[in-house]
Amino acid sequence: MGKKLVIIGSGAGGASVAAEAKRRDPNLDIVMIEQGDYVSTAA
Amino acid sequence: MPYYIGDVIRDENKLVARTPERFRDSGIEVLIRTPVERIDMKESAVQLAGGSTIDYDILAIGTGTIPILPGIPGQDLEGVFTLKRLNDAIRIKSYIDMKPVRSAAIIGAGFISMEMCENLRLRGIETTIINMGNLPVTRWDPIFSKRAQEELDRNGVITLTGTKTESITRGNDGRLHLATTAGELAVDLLIIAIGVRPDARLAAEAGIPLGKTGAIQVDFSQKTPLENIYAVGDCCEVFNRVSMRWVHIPLGDIANKQGRVAGRNIGGAPILFPGIVAAQSFRLFDLEMAATGIDEREANQAGFHPVSTIVWGNAIAGAMPGNSPVGIKLIADRSTGKLLGAQAIGEAGAVSRVNTLSCALWAGLGLEEVAYLDLAYAPPFSPSWDPIHLAAQDLLKKL
Ligand SMILES: Cc1cc2nc3c(=O)[nH]c(=O)nc-3n(C[C@H](O)[C@H](O)[C@H](O)COP(=O)(O)OP(=O)(O)OC[C@H]3O[C@@H](n4cnc5c(N)ncnc54)[C@H](O)[C@@H]3O)c2cc1C
Ligand SMILES: Cc1cc2nc3c(=O)[nH]c(=O)nc-3n(C[C@H](O)[C@H](O)[C@H](O)COP(=O)(O)OP(=O)(O)OC[C@H]3O[C@@H](n4cnc5c(N)ncnc54)[C@H](O)[C@@H]3O)c2cc1C
Repeated sequence: MGKKLVIIGSGAGGASVAAEAKRRDPNLDIVMIEQGDYVSTAA
Repeated sequence: MPYYIGDVIRDENKLVARTPERFRDSGIEVLIRTPVERIDMKESAVQLAGGSTIDYDILAIGTGTIPILPGIPGQDLEGVFTLKRLNDAIRIKSYIDMKPVRSAAIIGAGFISMEMCENLRLRGIETTIINMGNLPVTRWDPIFSKRAQEELDRNGVITLTGTKTESITRGNDGRLHLATTAGELAVDLLIIAIGVRPDARLAAEAGIPLGKTGAIQVDFSQKTPLENIYAVGDCCEVFNRVSMRWVHIPLGDIANKQGRVAGRNIGGAPILFPGIVAAQSFRLFDLEMAATGIDEREANQAGFHPVSTIVWGNAIAGAMPGNSPVGIKLIADRSTGKLLGAQAIGEAGAVSRVNTLSCALWAGLGLEEVAYLDLAYAPPFSPSWDPIHLAAQDLLKKL
């Protein structure tokens, strides 16, 4: 198991962290936590 | 989102860049409807509502902004909205579809207000802007803001200037009654768009340092001063390459880039975020408005000696049908001749010119260089002397 990355918020910023970190290091164990109903939305 | 409310974009799913399923397919776990309540630095864990915790080795914070509310009675009434999340947009649109909404007011006159009034008018809704100040979009020179005001007037938007809203009540007629310093106003829908502030509560409570702007402090790799904790997007600061200061400018393109930079650094492919020049654009009915860099006030604060000029030129060759005027404002430092900022307005050619000037700012060009910059010339696209050249040459005279 790789390191565990926790991301708070899944807007443009948080979602980009998740996607890019996973692309660079597929072994990362990533959890993205969002309080709202949607992730990765455009304004 | 404003264009979704205006029904220019029909399907809300078009506003979702990546669904939770697609994240899960790539091996990323996604929890929705799950607020994080606390960051426990000692245990390296986040605490969720209900008390359960999730441990981390590395934490990234992307909590965004919170809309500012005026703090007046009635601001929570049904029919009063802020526009921040997709949910807000969906709620506003279905409210308009359900009610019928014939009239709306917007408190605030920033860019979200401008985008909203265009879209409310598109839906045939009588729209009133309640502006505390005298001109809209104050990032722009008053001469350009006046042009924006004319565009609002021309499109039937009613504006109350120098007006404060004091309370909102529901009248016997079911409508929202606004008591303002300019009298009473009854509307079916009210949107509050008076700006946003960074949502840095979790970070602050956990002892993660905030900058002077109230947003989370980061370095060029998007790391906070604390080990293994990153922050990205609207909740954190960003380095302005022109003023050489850390600022809070909550814009989506910046959030994307900061997120990708943090992701690379976390994933072992290090990169630095080179900062911004604060390029921004929006459309107001038939007008393009764009700005980049810093204005005179910010220049003075940063220790420059700003001089500026406004020049009106042709968006395309003057003899071509469809030509329209474009206004360019340039701001430069008197002592060094360095370009500090630019603003543009016009029915065409404003955004593209500000993007060009953003590159000039990025590269730290001086006015001499901008005045003779090699730009593509052909009559359908620009005059042979572009308004950028004319403005730079005019401003050189003031150095
Ligand atoms: C109407 C409108 C129009 C805009 N137009 C433009 C434009 O044309 N160009 C431009 O560049 N920018 C524009 N913006 C700004 C742009 O939307 C933001 O800069 C961008 O969304 C910032 O992304 P972010 O990820 O930092 O924050 P956000 O997108 O706000 O995401 C933060 C997320 O964190 C979640 N969150 C917060 N706290 C918690 C918690 N405790 N637990 C769990 N989750 C949490 C929130 O629910 C949210 O989903 C616009 C904004 C609005 C509102
Ligand atoms: C408590 C409070 C109450 C207010 N009440 C009212 C009111 O009743 N009526 C009223 O008209 N106004 C009011 N204002 C003023 C309000 O902040 C602005 O006038 C505007 O309406 C905000 O609109 P907006 O949300 O579209 O954001 P804007 O202020 O238009 O900002 C949009 C985005 O552009 C970014 N931006 C701003 N300046 C720059 C820059 N120099 N460089 C790069 N990016 C920049 C911002 O960070 C922001 O994300 C109030 C402000 C506060 C704090």
